[in-house]
Parts: sequence; C-alpha cells; structure tokens
Amino acid sequence: MAAPPNAPPHESAEPPPLGQRIFDNVLLLLALGTLIMFVVFTGWGMWEILTMPAATLP
Amino acid sequence: MLTKVHTGLDPVPGVWWKPAHKAEKVWVAIAFGWCMVLFAMMPLWHWKGGQNPSGVRRRVEPKAFYARTLAFANQYKVGEDRGLPIVAPPPGADIYLVGLTFQWYPILRLERGKEYMLHLSSLDVNHGFSLYPLNVNFQVVPGYDYGLRVTPTAAGDFRILCNEFCGIGHHTMVGRVIVVDEAGQPVADNEAARIRRGGAR
Amino acid sequence: MTAPAASLFRTCRVTGRRIHIQAEWLVKANAVVAVVALLVGATAALLLALTRWQAVHLLPPEWYYRLLGVHGMNMLIFFIIYFEMAVLWFAGTVLLNARPAAPKLGWTNFGLMLAGSLLVEWTQWTGRADVMFTSYPPLKAHPVFYLGVILFAVGALLVVAQFFATILIAKREKTYSGSLPLVVYGAATAAIIAVITLLHGALIYIPTFLWSLGLIPSVDPQIYRMLWWALGHSSQQINVAAMVAIWYLLGGLTVGAAVLNEKVSRWAFVLYILFISLASAHHLLVDPGFSPAWKIVNTSYFMYMAVLASMVHGFTVPAGMELGMRLRGFTQGMFGWLRRAPWGDPGFSALILSIVVFGFFGGITGVTIGTEQINIVAHNTLRVPGHFHATVVSGTAMAFMGATYYLLPLIFRRKVAFWGLAKAQPWLFAIGLLLLETGMTFAGSFGIPRRHWDISFSQAPFDVAINPAVDLFMAMIGIGGIMAVTGALAFILIAVKSVFLGEAVTEIPRGTAMAGIPQGLTNPPVYPPNVDALNQELHAPGRGIAGATPGTLVLVGVFLLAFMVYYFTNWKLLSFLWKIG
Repeated sequence: MAAPPNAPPHESAEPPPLGQRIFDNVLLLLALGTLIMFVVFTGWGMWEILTMPAATLP
Repeated sequence: MLTKVHTGLDPVPGVWWKPAHKAEKVWVAIAFGWCMVLFAMMPLWHWKGGQNPSGVRRRVEPKAFYARTLAFANQYKVGEDRGLPIVAPPPGADIYLVGLTFQWYPILRLERGKEYMLHLSSLDVNHGFSLYPLNVNFQVVPGYDYGLRVTPTAAGDFRILCNEFCGIGHHTMVGRVIVVDEAGQPVADNEAARIRRGGAR
Repeated sequence: MTAPAASLFRTCRVTGRRIHIQAEWLVKANAVVAVVALLVGATAALLLALTRWQAVHLLPPEWYYRLLGVHGMNMLIFFIIYFEMAVLWFAGTVLLNARPAAPKLGWTNFGLMLAGSLLVEWTQWTGRADVMFTSYPPLKAHPVFYLGVILFAVGALLVVAQFFATILIAKREKTYSGSLPLVVYGAATAAIIAVITLLHGALIYIPTFLWSLGLIPSVDPQIYRMLWWALGHSSQQINVAAMVAIWYLLGGLTVGAAVLNEKVSRWAFVLYILFISLASAHHLLVDPGFSPAWKIVNTSYFMYMAVLASMVHGFTVPAGMELGMRLRGFTQGMFGWLRRAPWGDPGFSALILSIVVFGFFGGITGVTIGTEQINIVAHNTLRVPGHFHATVVSGTAMAFMGATYYLLPLIFRRKVAFWGLAKAQPWLFAIGLLLLETGMTFAGSFGIPRRHWDISFSQAPFDVAINPAVDLFMAMIGIGGIMAVTGALAFILIAVKSVFLGEAVTEIPRGTAMAGIPQGLTNPPVYPPNVDALNQELHAPGRGIAGATPGTLVLVGVFLLAFMVYYFTNWKLLSFLWKIG
C-alpha cells in the first residue's frame, strides 16, 4: 500500500487527502474568497440599493 | 500518529490532514456553539426585542425630502426656539427630520409612550443622527429616506448631536427633541435649553 | 530549474537560511517607510489626544479634523500596509528559501506606492482633502487625493500578485518540501484578503476620482459607503491575518511554539479567507440602504464563522506556546510554562500583550458592537475607536513591533539599540493604549461622538449637558494617548537608531544573553531529541480532555466567560432604550 518505510513521506505514491489538496491550493482559495465576497456582500448589497423603491413621503 | 513536532516557520512534509486532539475538538465545538448563539440573537431580537434598525427604506430626492419636512413643520408647528419651529405631530403620524449643514430641522415635540414613523434624511452630506444622552444612533444619508417606527419611553429635553463629520461646523450641529409626559412636562420652552454664548474655542 | 547565481543569495549566519539579497532589500525598504508613516501618524495622534482631552483642547477645529484624516491614512493605510508588504516579501522568500518573482518590478511597485503616499500626504496637509480618511461623498477632495490612493493601491496589489507568483515558483522549484509553513499560509491569507480589499478599492476610488474631476455627475453616497467599507474594513482583516501569522512566527522564535494541528490552524485561516471580509457590513448596520437580512448575514461573517476562526487561533496560538514550552521541560503545574517564559524578551512580551488585548478587549467589543441592534447605541460614538485601537494598535501594531525586535538583528543585521528601553517599550505602549481605549469606550457609552472637535458644544445653539464622569474619560484619552505615543516614539527611536546608527551583528554566540539581541536568537528554543515521543505522551488519551495544554484551556475558558458576560450585558442595556423599528 504505502511507499517503503524508509522513503520520505512526500515521495509516497499516494496523493494527500482532498482536504489537504484544497487547502494547499492558494489560487483556488483566492477565487472562492473573492467570489463569496462579491456575491454575498457586494452583489446582494448593490441589488438592495438599486431596487429600492422611491419614497412616497406620506 | 501525530505529525513530527515543528513550529509555524517549518514547511510541513507529508500528510498533515489528521484528526484533532480531543481538547481541540471540544474547544471548536464550544466555540461553534457560541457562534450559533451569537448568530441567533439577531433574528431573535427582531422577533422579540424592541430595538431594531429595520424600517421603511426609500430613495428620495434631497430637495423633495426637505420640502416635505418644511411642510410637515408648518402643519404641526406649536412654537419656536432659536429660529427653529417646535413641531408637535399627533401620535401615529409620519414625522420628518432633516439634517443639513449645520442644523437639525425641526424641533420635534413628541409624547411619551406614543408611536411615530420618523423619517430621517439629509439635504446635503452624510450626517450622524445621535439622540443624546440616550444614545440612539443612525446614519443620515442624502438621497435616502430612513423611516423608523419610534416610541419614546422616557420624557425629557433631549439633544440631537451630529456624529458623522460633515464639515467645519460639524461640532456646532446640535438639535433638540422634546418628549413630554402625560402631564405635559417638560414644556417646550423650558429654561434648560438656554443659548450658550461660548468663546471662540 | 535554473540555478541562481551565488551572488543573488546570502546565507544567514544565525539561522542558516538562504536569503535572496534583493528580496531582503525590499523587506528593509518597506519596513523603513512603514516606520516613517508610523512617526507621522503618531505625531498626529498626540495632537489629537490632547485636543479630545477637553481640558487641554490643543488644536483649533480645522487642524483637528485635518490631522484626524492624516492620522487615519498614515496609520490604517500607510504604516500597516508598508509593513505588510515587508511581511509578504519576507514570508515568500526567506521562509521558503526562495527567490522573489521579478524583484525589479518589486521596486517599481514600491515606487508607485511611495508616489501615491506622497500625493495623498500633500493633499491632506495642505487642506485639499479635509474629508477624513473615509472621504464620504458628497464631501469632495482635490482629485490628486483620490489619484494618490489609487496609485498606492495599484502598487500594493501588484506586490500581492508578485507574492503569489513567488510562492508558486518556490513550489515549482521545490525550494521547500511539503506544504507551506503555517506562517507563510497566514501571510497568503492576508494576501488573498488584500486582493478582495484592493479590488473594491479600485471599484470605488476610480469613479470617485472621475467625479472629483467633474467627469461624472455624482457618486451615490450609499453605494460609496458600501464599497468603501468593503475596502476599509477588509484592509483591517488583512491586518488580522498578518497579525496571526506573526503570532505563530514570534511564538516559534521566542519559545519554540509547536503547531498543535496543521488542519485546525489552516481551517481557521480558510474561514478567514472565505468569510471575514463580509463583516465590512458592520459599518452599515444603521444605514438606510440595506435590509436586516443583508445586515445580519454579512455582519455575522456568515454565521460568525470567521469569529470561530479567531477563537480557534485564540486557542492554538497560546496552546502552541504551552506545548512548545512543555516539550522543552517546562512542565510545572498549570502555568509554569507561562511564568518561566522569556518575559524579558520584548518580542515575547509584545506577542503576549498583542494576543491578550486583541482578544479580550478588541475581539469582544467588536463582535458586540458589530451586532445589528447593539450597533444602534454604538455607531459613530467613541466606542468605535475604543474598539479598533484595541485590535489594530494593541493587536496588530504591537505584534509588528515584536517582530521588529527579531527583524533588526536578522534582516538588518543590527543589534537592537537602547536595549533597556526596548524591553519596556511593549509595556509602555500597551498600558498607554489600554488607558486610551478604556477612556474612549466609556465615553462612547455615554454618547460622546467620535471625530468631533468640541463636546463642550460652546458654539452650538443648544446646550448639551455632559455627565461629569465624561471629563475623566476624556482625560484618560489624553493621558493614555501621551503614554501610548511615547511608547510608539520609543519604538521608532529604537528602530531608527538600530538601522542607521546601530552596532552591526555578524555572529550571535549561543548560550549567553547579549544586550541588543533577543533571547530567541542567543538561546534559540531547541526541542530535545525525543520530542516526538514526548508529544505522543502529552497527547495520550489517558491524560484526559485537557491533554497537552491544560493551562491554555483555562485561559480560553476565562475568555469565553468574559465574552458572554460583556455580550449579554450589552443586550440588557439595549433593552432599556426607546422602542425602535
């Protein structure tokens, strides 16, 4: 299953777990962080402002 | 097997995606639970609590809002103080307050325990509505009408400070709100609101 | 893989690391400019504190408002971002034994940032930008003000891009094996948040610049506030990530802090990346532009996931220190590791002060006043600066100062000058700040506004009765401010003397304390040969839930209790207010 016991860990034939690979992918994280901000804060916020109805000043 | 002991300066070879120790898991669980409490408090207060910044929010032309405020002040004017009309609207009414450099117009005279729909906006730049000393604070943005249902719970002769920088006269921008109790106290022209003739500083 | 010419690198005689000389110069240049900005900001700070202290009321109104803008720009933008550029150049190269991507461009970008800073500085000091550092339209500044900010931001964004390129190249060239060290991961987190920050900066400053030139008719004030705070608060979250990265760095250098669990610490950084910028919304909680749903989802960093992250680091950072100390034999009782820690090392004392004040004062007040409803009693009062001085200054700036005590001998290769003063400096700074922050927070609870020249209201049409207790709080701001500025000036004095007139360091003999060299370098923390076995033992199930770090568990328990008490007390106080909404 694993590489021979004396081999340094990073030369093992198995790739690290998916979670580790995702966390190691800095550009992916950059994309996700940017996307979430632009949708949840900026996009939604702009939508709220732009769709606000006009005052009737009752 | 734990990873080899290392500091945060060391690169980490091999697999470090390993389960946490019990103490860490417990702390994360407790912290997560606390975060859920923090999150729940806000919707809960909307449901059960008495103070929420939710209101009837509308876009408005600053000049139109100002004109509406003048009309409102004329309609319910009962007196005057320092050149500003004292305005006593009926409970349940839509009431208007406008911030402009460097004053709050008009002076509102409200009744304790009664509800009003307070509309806040600015004629020119951002202002900060700060009802003192209660400490009720809202951002007053030109182009936007912030309609807040308000019920004063205490009588008194309050002040409105401006707490958003609006220019060199920012610190002179003080307004007045009077809330009378069932006996009509305090009266609109009470002694406490005398002019302060301050020096240059 | 191209073999770099030998002259491009030097080998550090203290740590054995391979250091790229151009990258090192970029670290130094950015650090020096950061300290210059700190000096400008600190000078302004003193004059401001002596003005808000109503009994002194030093500056006339025009200059108070002007220097408030100068203070904000120099501290929150220039000082901190230049220092963070230094951190990025350092983390991407020195900690990875790597070469920087396109170092010449690094200098171009530095020049761009410098040009932008000088333009902004000029407009502010000459009264062409009396709009506070937030510059909310319809208040309008001279176009060069906005242009300066844009140039600075573009330069910084390009350096961030170079950082990403550097770490990707390092990975490809295999200058390190495995995953990025945790400190570099924290720096990468800061860099990612910087991208989010600066993109929003471009989105808002470019139209505002065009408006100031008369090329577009207006900038909607509510849209401006939303986009500006996406820049303005996210820039503070860059500071949080950088600060936490420095915590792990200083922990490792001063006491051999061990990483408890990489997955846990990296989860916390990932939660920052995904959610921390959303909380820019806490500046907009009492604005008319947004619904309660938007406010609640965003101000909570998405269900407080980023607060969870902070609470995780709040555990793993001290726990790592406790574990590192226990593994090296400091095993007495619950807190022997803390009592016997190197308190005489200003890098260590700055680290502890940063963690404690950021957590207890900054974090707790921030989450509380950042609650949609509690914000009603806090918005634009002095509670806000009371909070953020506890995070950005007592937290981030303090951590950066602590790191400087190691940067000076390692990168500048100078002894730390005025060593006695250096040991006292973190305490002087921290205590002064605590006094300042306490004064601000209490005054704010009494309704005293921020950014306000005169609470005697001598020029206002109506009198405003101020509780006499407020005079005490304003005096605390004045005196705390004097003390904190003294602490900052002490740091600047030490840094400048060391860098420009200091004693060179060539070798650091191990084993004996040396004035001007922190103990982490003269007596570097070294693990015993059987450290992994010891670690297994400390984590053995038989030790129960407290495991390897019982002391830290007690500390975070105290923290959580303080949090709960402060938080619920504030809800209770809110309930006495008028009915609103």
